[in-house]
Amino acid sequence: MVAPAQAMLIALLFLPALYVFWLSLTRSTYGATPQWVGLGNYVTVLSDPYFWTAALNTVIVVNAVVLGEFALALGVAMLFAGWIPWRRLMIAVVLAPYAISEVVSVVIWKFMMDPIGGPVSLALRGLGLPELDWAVEPSHGLAMVILLSIWHHLPFTFILLYTALLGIPRDLYEAAKVDGAGAWRRFVDVTFPLLVPAMLVAVVFRYIFAFRIFSEVWLLTGGGPARTTEVLAVYLYRQAFRYADFGAAAATGWLMLIASLLMGAWYIHQMYKRMFSNA
Amino acid sequence: MHDATPSRRLRQMRRALVAGARMLALAVVLVWSAFPIALLVLGSLRMPRDIFSEKNLFVFTPTLQNYVNLWQRWPDFFHNLVNSLMIALGATALTLVISFLAGYVYARRQGRMLTASAFFMIMVRLLPPIVLTLPLFPAINWLMLNDTRTVLILLYSAFFLSLGTWIMKAFIDQLPIELEEAAAIDGSSLWQTLWHIILPLSHAGLIATSVFIMVFAWNDFLFAFIFTAVDAKTAPVVISEMVGAIDGVDWGILFAAATLQLLPILVFVLLVQKYLIAGLSAGASKG
Repeated sequence: MVAPAQAMLIALLFLPALYVFWLSLTRSTYGATPQWVGLGNYVTVLSDPYFWTAALNTVIVVNAVVLGEFALALGVAMLFAGWIPWRRLMIAVVLAPYAISEVVSVVIWKFMMDPIGGPVSLALRGLGLPELDWAVEPSHGLAMVILLSIWHHLPFTFILLYTALLGIPRDLYEAAKVDGAGAWRRFVDVTFPLLVPAMLVAVVFRYIFAFRIFSEVWLLTGGGPARTTEVLAVYLYRQAFRYADFGAAAATGWLMLIASLLMGAWYIHQMYKRMFSNA
Repeated sequence: MHDATPSRRLRQMRRALVAGARMLALAVVLVWSAFPIALLVLGSLRMPRDIFSEKNLFVFTPTLQNYVNLWQRWPDFFHNLVNSLMIALGATALTLVISFLAGYVYARRQGRMLTASAFFMIMVRLLPPIVLTLPLFPAINWLMLNDTRTVLILLYSAFFLSLGTWIMKAFIDQLPIELEEAAAIDGSSLWQTLWHIILPLSHAGLIATSVFIMVFAWNDFLFAFIFTAVDAKTAPVVISEMVGAIDGVDWGILFAAATLQLLPILVFVLLVQKYLIAGLSAGASKG
């Protein structure tokens, strides 16, 4: 009964991934028969300055998104662990961005940040604060991508941390209180150590998912101006579907796959230990 | 002991201050989460020329003008919404059936091969989806499945099978095995037990799984963008075309389309909120 699941995974995910590896060792484009070029594509990609721009942008965006989101989610989760009026309704509001598509969140943020009449741009101007010139200035474009991603994915990290917080037995806090621990010591000695597993899972998951970022960048800046705001997924897409260079795109794909495996290594190792220890 | 009263007052003041700060933080969180969505939905109900006027952001006479314009200028959009719906329902049904069966096996059977296959399931979660568009693109063309709903249904299911199976396993793990043993003694076959006992009892897991796949399939841009052209085009792809329209963006129409795309899934997610929360912690953290 696991056969349908495994068959689908192998046919649609695993075999294609292997095929990408083979593709990455050949020169191929539409119609032409692939030619063996060994590691040639990897050399091409790794000596392409646009690849390194994309890689650097990805590192910046992913770190800023995951760490910013984590700090924010931890704060919100701590807030919600205490007394909150209309709890169910409040959680529903915090969850709402989870249901929004990438495309629609881009629409919303583009509107709010419209340089001419967007409400947030106007408000920033009214307060005398600097505005985001995201369509022109590459670093502002990336900042907008980061902001949007944090907004969009906060609910995910929030839920993981919030449910873990609720799972901490109340009497531990009572005991710490009796021992004279203040709020800060209770956080450091009780909350934090018990929350570490959930925090690691949340952060690892978010690193793996944030690393795939495509739509937000593609729809917001298209990687421009002049390919300065590309991330790796956009670079891969452009190599494959704009320049029809499947070899280089496949090589990029395998580099991404390896990076993804490295980011997930800790989680995989944990799962391996747990699963094979009771088998 | 002469300072007992002032220190108590100080403590009360501090407590009030902390409570005030907490409510302020809550207000900020609510505005951060809800304001952008409210802006979009309310904006879709304003006259097109008023969308950028900052006056009366929340108080105005609503109009359906933008929806009428959408209907006239992008008549196909409603066909695209139907595509999105059919694809989301198809992917959800497929994922539920397959994850339920696999989740049951992983919950109830043990063995080295099974563990290895479960481990493989976890590993494939690390594959970045965009990598797979490369080999699938020619394969799908060759199978003449390009621009069909079927392709997206299969792909979305494949990507959520792993999470779905994990959620189902976590929920079935909690069911007492005595029920199945009793059924077996009564001569019930495995399929009968699954259908009459396990399935109804694991409805929470089924709902939790369906939330994730439904949200993903309804909202996805990447795969729909690459694998559809005309017939199977989904709502998010069309909205992205509206954003990139060369003759300037018509924000009124865009807001109307975006609202139609987001409201159904938002309502669904909020209705099944508690399953979403249970499913996320089950799928992410339990082995």
